Amino acid sequence: MGAPVHGLTAKTQTSLEEVKRNTKRHRRHLLGNSISRYYFLFSILALCLVLGLVIVFIGKTALLLFTRISPQDFFFSFNWTPEEEAFGAAAFIVNTLSLTALTLVIAVPISVGMAVLCAEIAPNWLKSFIRPVLDLLVGIPSIVYGYLGLTVLLPFLRRVSGEGLGDGLLAAALVLALMVLPTICRISDDAIVAVPRKYRDAAYALGSTRLQVIMRIVLPAASRGIISAVILGMTRAVGETMAVVMVIGNTPQLAKSLFAPTSVLTSNIVMQISNVEFDSTWNYSLHMMAFLLLLISFVLILIIRLLGRKRRDA
Amino acid sequence: MKMFKKFTVTALTAVIAVTASFAGAAAAADSLKGKITVNGSTALLPLTLQAAKEFQKLHPKVKIAASGKGSVTGPQAVKKGIADIGACDWDASIDVPGFKAFDGQVANKVAVIPFATIVNKNVGVDNLTTEQLKGIYAGKITNWKEVGGSDANIVVITRAFGSGTRVNYQAKALGGGDIVKKEKNYKETGSSGDMKTAVGTTPNAIGYIDLVYVTGGDIKAVKFNGVEANTDNVINGSYKIWAYGYYMTKGQPTGATKEFIEYVQSKKFQQGSLKKLKFIPISAMQS
Repeated sequence: MGAPVHGLTAKTQTSLEEVKRNTKRHRRHLLGNSISRYYFLFSILALCLVLGLVIVFIGKTALLLFTRISPQDFFFSFNWTPEEEAFGAAAFIVNTLSLTALTLVIAVPISVGMAVLCAEIAPNWLKSFIRPVLDLLVGIPSIVYGYLGLTVLLPFLRRVSGEGLGDGLLAAALVLALMVLPTICRISDDAIVAVPRKYRDAAYALGSTRLQVIMRIVLPAASRGIISAVILGMTRAVGETMAVVMVIGNTPQLAKSLFAPTSVLTSNIVMQISNVEFDSTWNYSLHMMAFLLLLISFVLILIIRLLGRKRRDA
Repeated sequence: MKMFKKFTVTALTAVIAVTASFAGAAAAADSLKGKITVNGSTALLPLTLQAAKEFQKLHPKVKIAASGKGSVTGPQAVKKGIADIGACDWDASIDVPGFKAFDGQVANKVAVIPFATIVNKNVGVDNLTTEQLKGIYAGKITNWKEVGGSDANIVVITRAFGSGTRVNYQAKALGGGDIVKKEKNYKETGSSGDMKTAVGTTPNAIGYIDLVYVTGGDIKAVKFNGVEANTDNVINGSYKIWAYGYYMTKGQPTGATKEFIEYVQSKKFQQGSLKKLKFIPISAMQS
């Protein structure tokens, strides 16, 4: 009779220990969970803090500008002559826009064409070659592209155009096009691949040719993704600095021709920021230009988000 | 941006201080203590770094941190109290074109910096006068044949406004004349290195640069008013395009800063390392 009792006691003890162990483990898990929760929270807060600081500090210094000169003088005057206290940024803004537009005009048709090739036409071995190469191109530092522009593209443009310098919007746009091409191409590629196979099958079943399938079915179906890709390329083109500085001529004036030496927001900031006095209208204008760049890229990113949301809704 | 500037300065300071303390570790004990921060002109940076290395061997307890950016950041950093010494390519205690004087700062001459007018190797002209240079940079002379060369457009390359080299070149070579931007055949560069590349790779280009950068076969220095650009002609007074490099301090320098400036100005340093770095001793000009 004793033995089972003993057995029972032993069993009870074991389960008690087990419960204790389980409780300990439970607490450990809870602790681990809460620590990692705080860690993740901290990570995102740190990022938000940095982003907030960027906006606050750039914005604060930038807005000081309007205590010195009126917004009209800054946004609508084409005269940028810091030595004579003239801080009109209109030329840079227009140049930035026209450079971005020119870049996209060159880059978009080519990169979408490449994306179609990658996604629809190329045999597998070619795909598995092109895609890694494009990924590699995305990672090349911009100064390398700039250097190539300076030593290869400029002499070529000089020969072709007969200009003395070759620097200007066209040179910068060509370099930028090369830089944004892989970005636009890879993302468009993914968008095209994501178009459901049944669309194509249906179109072929109705007797479409391959060209008709691509032009009338696949590209329209992937259009939102492609537009996102183009905008992402645009943000890179708007913000690119080093490569542009090396081939644009850095002369603060409105570009009236493709070969006129000129300057955009980014290149002007980097050329002048190390030469300005801290508390000067000049410094504030450069900060305002940086702030403008921030705003432009925020707006572009916002458009991408909105497009993405619409696509999910559809 | 301000914060970022400070951060950069601090980071550079830290790196250089560490390097410097290793260099100085072997030297004998010495009573002079302190920390000297030097900021400003990149043109004078090689000189400052060399002097700091030698000075810390003599005085191991002195830490010298040096960094370079633009000339005007030197006196600015001194004004803000970030740096003890602001290296500057012009005398920042008086007004120069584009920059007001920094009140209460003292300019200590430390070196003579010669500058040269340079052209691409394809240019046939080898002498230019003040008037011709003025005409070229004002945009009035646009073809090399007007100054005795072949029939080709002159491509003007200049430093961006605010550069110390530009301030000095305008004052000494152009006699205070303006540099006028043009729609064509005109380009601004951000540093001496860029200037050299731009003139070297652009046929028919003209530019200006510190004499020490005139090396290699792509660019050549032209004579100024018939005088060749070299250190001998600077010293004998016939070549006029040169300027003093200055260490700006808040009031008269004191303590370790004073000792350091005196070391840089000393005969030993001026005749030794400074000459090796291709600057010209200040004493050469005062005789």
